[in-house]
Order: sequence, then C-alpha cells, then structure tokens
Amino acid sequence: MIYVFFGVIALALVLAGIRFVIGPTTSDRVVALDTMTTISTALLVLLGLFFKRYIYIDVALIYGVLGFVGVLTVARYLEGGL
Amino acid sequence: MDILLIILTVILIVAAVMTIRKKDLVAAVISSSVVSLIASIYFYLLQAPDVALTEAAIGVGLSTIIFMITIRRTRRMEE
Repeated sequence: MIYVFFGVIALALVLAGIRFVIGPTTSDRVVALDTMTTISTALLVLLGLFFKRYIYIDVALIYGVLGFVGVLTVARYLEGGL
Repeated sequence: MDILLIILTVILIVAAVMTIRKKDLVAAVISSSVVSLIASIYFYLLQAPDVALTEAAIGVGLSTIIFMITIRRTRRMEE
C-alpha cells in the first residue's frame, strides 16, 4: 500500500518538475519550487513512516517552518521591495 | 521505491544543468534551491537526518536570501 503513495508523490514531483523546466516566466518557477517543497515535506513524513523511525519527522517539521522563506524572498524581489 | 530514486536523480541533474546554463540569475538561484532540496532528500534517504536538516535550513533558506540581496544590489541579467 505504501508503494502506491510513493508512486503518487513521484507523479506529483514529475508534474511540478515539468512546470519548473518549461516555465516561461520567473513566477512560474517560483510557484513550482514552492509546490516541490510542499511535496517534499509529505515525502519526508512518508519516508519516516517507511523506515519506522519516528524521530525523522522532525526534519519534515524544519522543512515546513523554513521552506517558504526563500520563496518569500524571491517574491519580495519580484515585487520591487527587498 | 526505485522509480522515486530515478525521478529524483533526473530532477537533480536537470536543475543542476539549469543552474549553470541560465542567463537570468534569478532563475539560476531558484534552480540552485531545487538542487539543494533534492540533495536534502538524498541525505535523508542515506540515513543522515542531521545533515538533511542542515542542508534544508541553509541551502533552501539562507543561501537564497543572500543571493537575492546580492542580485538586488547588482544586475539581474548575465551578459
């Protein structure tokens, strides 16, 4: 059953990666990076469940807290602030 | 599990090539952030969660901020 989840997450990573590669503007790439960060958080939680080591979920917590800061900085630059 | 590893490797290589080849430096910084993200997942898969934690905090967060401040002070396009 858990391999089905891995397949779904791999498909989502492929779709976000395609948008990241062919994205015409910078905003498309920023949104694709944010999507990939969120999908990676779900992947880390799933891998912690797969390895049966629940201390690994802390890494996913750090991802959730710090993942959006880079996207926020790039968005602030595109807006004209910073 | 193998298909996930193949997809992660392909995204890592494509993002690394885009980091080198892009003339728009903002797109290059975003590509470098993607490289750091996938490398962090690889450290996690190789049973090193502390290295993955540091890579996530510094590579995705801090280096992007420093590069964007630098691009703001200089030019965006590379000639």
